[in-house]
Amino acid sequence: MIHQYRNNGYNIVMDVNSGAVHVVDDVVYDAVALLAAEMPETEKKIGKEAETAGRTPEPGEQVPESDAAGLTRIPAELRTRVEKQLAEKYGCSAQDIADAMSDIQELIDAEQLFTKDIYHDYVIDFKKRKTVVKALCLHIAHDCNLACRYCFAEEGEYHGRRALMSFEVGKKALDFLIANSGNRKHLEVDFFGGEPLMNWDVVKRLVEYGRSQEAEHDKQFRFTLTTNGVLLNDEIMEFCNREMSNVVLSLDGRKEVNDRMRPFRKGAGSYDIIVPKFQKFAESRGQMNYYVRGTFTRYNLDFASDVLHFADLGFKQMSVEPVVASPDEPYAIRKEDLPQILAEYDRLAVEYIKRKKEGRGFNFFHFMIDLNQGPCVAKRLSGCGSGTEYLAVTPWGDLYPCHQFVGQEQFLLGNVDEGITNTELRDEFKLVNVYAKDKCRDCFARFYCSGGCAANAWNYDGSITGAYEIGCEMQKKRIECAIMIKAALAEDEA
Amino acid sequence: MKKVKTLSGNTLKESMKKGGCGECQTSCQSACKTSCTVGNQSCENANR
Repeated sequence: MIHQYRNNGYNIVMDVNSGAVHVVDDVVYDAVALLAAEMPETEKKIGKEAETAGRTPEPGEQVPESDAAGLTRIPAELRTRVEKQLAEKYGCSAQDIADAMSDIQELIDAEQLFTKDIYHDYVIDFKKRKTVVKALCLHIAHDCNLACRYCFAEEGEYHGRRALMSFEVGKKALDFLIANSGNRKHLEVDFFGGEPLMNWDVVKRLVEYGRSQEAEHDKQFRFTLTTNGVLLNDEIMEFCNREMSNVVLSLDGRKEVNDRMRPFRKGAGSYDIIVPKFQKFAESRGQMNYYVRGTFTRYNLDFASDVLHFADLGFKQMSVEPVVASPDEPYAIRKEDLPQILAEYDRLAVEYIKRKKEGRGFNFFHFMIDLNQGPCVAKRLSGCGSGTEYLAVTPWGDLYPCHQFVGQEQFLLGNVDEGITNTELRDEFKLVNVYAKDKCRDCFARFYCSGGCAANAWNYDGSITGAYEIGCEMQKKRIECAIMIKAALAEDEA
Repeated sequence: MKKVKTLSGNTLKESMKKGGCGECQTSCQSACKTSCTVGNQSCENANR
């Protein structure tokens, strides 16, 4: 599958199945488009097949049927036709066209163009594996000192009652994680809410407890904290800098944007109180291992200005994400908002490059992409792991597939005493992957977003294997921008 | 190649050989909490 697009003056060709990404000139760009409709996708031997090539397989060894097709050539008739079309369109020299076709053949030979999707069977095998739990989102406080208007947690209460997690429940959650994590060494625990600083003493005791278990079980905890910052103080910052591998700091951007959606319960804005604390916190962490994280809504479709506002405040790590909301909310993002939102990502991308080149760059979470050392295909196919590798724990110890499902009783998986009792639901989540989603199968972004958020799919499509199409459009644009940024920065390095 | 600059080769297929160790970060824990994005995660497989 080929996906090609032009952005900010760059011609990008993505060979989706191999993960290859190319920046090409106009002639190659058009040649690929003309060929793509008719070229057969190719597959060469890989992995086990390649290992067994040229020798007799061991008795009982499973060797897939090998395809002896070898290198694929562009069919002569197709090649002639495409060359003719290019000559007519560009009036360029025969040599120019020959160079373009030669480059394309080289990419085909290197398995970087017109490759086949060979992962389908692999994901089935992958999903047969016993999954382990590797991350917990601890709802340490179902209570909040802000009253954010879009809060999916209903001001921290998650359709339930206000509650704080006791140390005992948290301890059982950590024990559950250790016991169910198999051979995985790194265990992730996010202190989430509501607002976790409203139960700070328990956070500290749980970190201490977790650390006390590491040597005995050969595990390493990575604690993280998601906070609105209201209660941040020096002692908390100092503790977090010692113990938390990442902190997520909630702030929406410009003062008027933030204060409209993130007021205190009595209505006053939170920006003035929080910003200086976050600035100090980010600085004290060496501008690393944190994210200032905002939510944008229909009220600030010019959200690039909020991202840039963060940068202007001195932050270096940031994320601004679309609101998750019921479509009937006035602030919910609508389909007709998409053109503006997509243009906004483009605007942000151009400024992002400019600032990087000027030496005052920053990281925007959704523009970060590692094309060469990124996640393996197994990870890309299996997605976020909600309901299997990742679970949310309520203050009273109930387990849910993730924080977004907390409080929806049909998604209750079990509890920290008995573990996962609703294995049927767990297995449903186990099967969530890009091949289980009809809308992902033909999408160029499937190996980058991994099928998206199950909770979004549930909210908008009524099925965890559905898709939230507005979210998909934004995701695709962000990936296109991220790759274009790589192209622009690579050009600078050359 | 005269007309092509490759930013990334066939990394996905390569990653099948040694992938799947599961040590990588859970996507939602990293920053977003509302939108799964896997492509920007780092691989933590020391043997890759």
